[in-house]
Amino acid sequence: MTTFLASFGFGLVTASVLAVAAVGFTLQFGVTDVLNLAYGAVMIAGAFIAYVINQMGLSVWIGLVVAMVACSVGSVLLNAGVYTPFQRRGASPITMVIVSLGMTLIIEFSVQAIAGGTSVSYTMSQGPSVRADGLVLSTVQLVVIGLSLLVMAGTHVLLRYTRLGKAMRATAANRTLARNCGIRTAQVINLTWAVTGALCGLAGVIFAMDAGSFDATATDLFLVLILAAVFLGGPGQAYGAMLGAVVIGLATEISAAYITPDYKYVIAFVALLVMLGVRPSGLLGATQ
Amino acid sequence: MNSYYLINLLIYAAVDAMACLGLNQQFGVAGVTNFGFIIFQAAGGYTAAILAMPNQSANGAFQSYIGGWNLPFPIPWLGAAVVGGVIALPFTFLVGRRLRGDFAAVGLLVAAVLLNLLVTNYRPLLNGDAGLSLIPAPLQGEFDPQSSGYQWALAAVAIVVCALVYLFVRRITESPYGRSLRAMRDNDRVADSLGKNLLSLRSAMLVTGGAIAGLSGGILVSYITTWSPAAWGYAETVVLFAAVIIGGAGNHLGAILGAILVPVGFEEVTRYIPTSNNLPPNLIPSLEWVAIGLLIVVFLWVRPQGILPERKRVIRPAALSPEASPPDRPPADGPAAARPGLAPAPAPPAAPAARLAPPADHEIVLQAVGVEREFGGVRAVAGVSFSVRHGTMTGLIGPNGAGKSTLLAMLAGTLPVSSGRVIYQGQDVTRLPAYRRARLGLVRTFQLASEFKRLTVMENLLSAAPGNRGDSFRGALAGPRYWRGDETAAIARAQALLTRFGLDGHANSYAGDLSGGQRRLVEIMRALMAEPRVLLLDEPMAGVHPNLARRIGNELAALCAEGLTVLMVEHELAIMDEFCDPVVAMAEGAVLAEGTMAELRSRTEVVEAYLVG
Repeated sequence: MTTFLASFGFGLVTASVLAVAAVGFTLQFGVTDVLNLAYGAVMIAGAFIAYVINQMGLSVWIGLVVAMVACSVGSVLLNAGVYTPFQRRGASPITMVIVSLGMTLIIEFSVQAIAGGTSVSYTMSQGPSVRADGLVLSTVQLVVIGLSLLVMAGTHVLLRYTRLGKAMRATAANRTLARNCGIRTAQVINLTWAVTGALCGLAGVIFAMDAGSFDATATDLFLVLILAAVFLGGPGQAYGAMLGAVVIGLATEISAAYITPDYKYVIAFVALLVMLGVRPSGLLGATQ
Repeated sequence: MNSYYLINLLIYAAVDAMACLGLNQQFGVAGVTNFGFIIFQAAGGYTAAILAMPNQSANGAFQSYIGGWNLPFPIPWLGAAVVGGVIALPFTFLVGRRLRGDFAAVGLLVAAVLLNLLVTNYRPLLNGDAGLSLIPAPLQGEFDPQSSGYQWALAAVAIVVCALVYLFVRRITESPYGRSLRAMRDNDRVADSLGKNLLSLRSAMLVTGGAIAGLSGGILVSYITTWSPAAWGYAETVVLFAAVIIGGAGNHLGAILGAILVPVGFEEVTRYIPTSNNLPPNLIPSLEWVAIGLLIVVFLWVRPQGILPERKRVIRPAALSPEASPPDRPPADGPAAARPGLAPAPAPPAAPAARLAPPADHEIVLQAVGVEREFGGVRAVAGVSFSVRHGTMTGLIGPNGAGKSTLLAMLAGTLPVSSGRVIYQGQDVTRLPAYRRARLGLVRTFQLASEFKRLTVMENLLSAAPGNRGDSFRGALAGPRYWRGDETAAIARAQALLTRFGLDGHANSYAGDLSGGQRRLVEIMRALMAEPRVLLLDEPMAGVHPNLARRIGNELAALCAEGLTVLMVEHELAIMDEFCDPVVAMAEGAVLAEGTMAELRSRTEVVEAYLVG
């Protein structure tokens, strides 16, 4: 029972980080139709930006805010400078994925070239721990969970109740029709990249906090977890991504406690491949 | 430069070129984006290793692995190719008709990461992270692997094998089967509707590319004598993709050039850059990866066709010479036909050409029985029943959103029905996929432009010809002598169609370069090449000049008189008036009325549906 509760705690934290990342990824894909594999690279760039701020003697929480802003701006530029020009030329989805893979290498290894290949950690206090039975969570972990819940609630409010959210959903459903209905889709897409970029930066920093130490290639595997969560819930489905994140996050950490940590990602991989093979529209997606 | 370094480069070049040829066959020719390509090279490497190595206990027991059969050359290499091909089979579930190409690519990428993780962590299988070492070189009992002569011989063999692989992939690509692969690459949905089995084509490519990759891995481990998970990270696949894109996707010589430029030029050569102590240890490798990413993105932007673009397959049969054209039909190309007054109209426009015998005399060839289709709660087609009779040119009209195109797609099988049945020539074809229906003679065209862009007009037509002996993997391997007869016959038929529709002048133009009206013609001709018995046309006259539209109508009417049946969705009611009888009117997903156009005009509900819609 203690093992279960302890791993459940880890699972909650992983699921929280994953939920933030997956919601950003899935909104990006749904609204802009770019399967942006460079998402993980932008995450780790954000984590390193927070690290630089942290190294200057400032709190990592300030670094977190700076990373969110930087990733937001960076994502808008990535779209405006690379993805939109390709899409405007009529590049196929396959070409877009290859381009995003190229951007992954460019961003990730630029970070590595600057930061070096060694692992780093934030200088921060974990705060007092809270325990309930075997469930032990540090203050930082609680904050991560809280931030994630805040993001989920914010996403819900954004999509349901704001003009931007409605415009995003309209653009995701049918970009041409949305434009013809007077929605400024180019602006909506830019704002989507800004919002999801900020989520990406946030996810990068809390991922790094959760991981303890990280290097430039740390998000390679995490990207697969993101993809698993996104495809489990259905690509483009924000609520599906939240559900997928909880399932994948808990499943990986709990299986790690009972099998062996070496194989904790296997369950996510298998879930992803099964979803792709059997039901690519996801659990919450519409079937053809 | 000493000779060992040169040998090293030659062997790497041969191995990388082989891998790039395999990847190019998948990606450049068939459009299968295999982001997990490196898995297959890895599998070949491991297979060759454990086939050649002695049992683990006999090998000092410092590494653990399965197998260890101590088999002589060339069995390890052959085994590498076989296993590379066989392990492609489980992945074929990702490349069927259902999954988007980019999703399949992500699935394969994830599979590559997963397998690397498993092999790294599970030591008993293939010695885990440390990998295998002391892999025997071929014939090392008989010769000294360290000698210069042996190394030169190994390099020569690798180059010869690479040349054989080149001839193999070229033979496939330049056959009618290769044309089907390229058609699938350009537009898979359309290839499906013309009778191409996408799953079979893509699976064959996964296995073929896998076998080539496996062989390349086997040769590589024979030379470097070690193999570990670090050698086949997912990013190695990206390097091969960069090579194929830069060299020229779809051009096998381009793939070889790309292999020499990217993996060899970059990775192997820069490996020998002297590392300065002033630089951080990871700087040079990091910048190499950045450069490879930049190369991919910049090339896709500046020169997406690569350094050596796919070459145009020009077909000049005897029939293409002017004297072969029938004298009674002066060839008129699209632009000429589109100019009013210049278009030859074989039948005077005033005389309706399609008034054939009354429909009652004709047997039913295609029937929809209570066909329904829902899209997320919206009933696009709500229980449609109607029949198409043999030899007629049946029209299907209705306001936008009436469900005409959806119905057509369900009849052709490109869209599954939610409920109801489709009966074709007395056979229930509801469960048959589109390509099977096309092979039975039920062929459709598409509302949106759907030409195979990077095939010439002639190739577009040939791609649809059924029964070509060279349009199978085996037929392609049997070589041109095996299929040339069928090919010549198909070219003659295509030529006759081109003449009939006045597009001879464009036979060797890329279909993607034609005008909108000409592309519609190509589509109709291509559908006719598939030898349809029932032809389903989705707005064939949309965006076509009225004169050309009339000409298409006349030709179709003539074909119907010869036994073809046509079901045509069209908004141009003048065309319906002139050629179609009967005409079926649909509105809001249901059949409203059926009769001649004149009869429909007198029915108030039809007129109202149009006015309201």
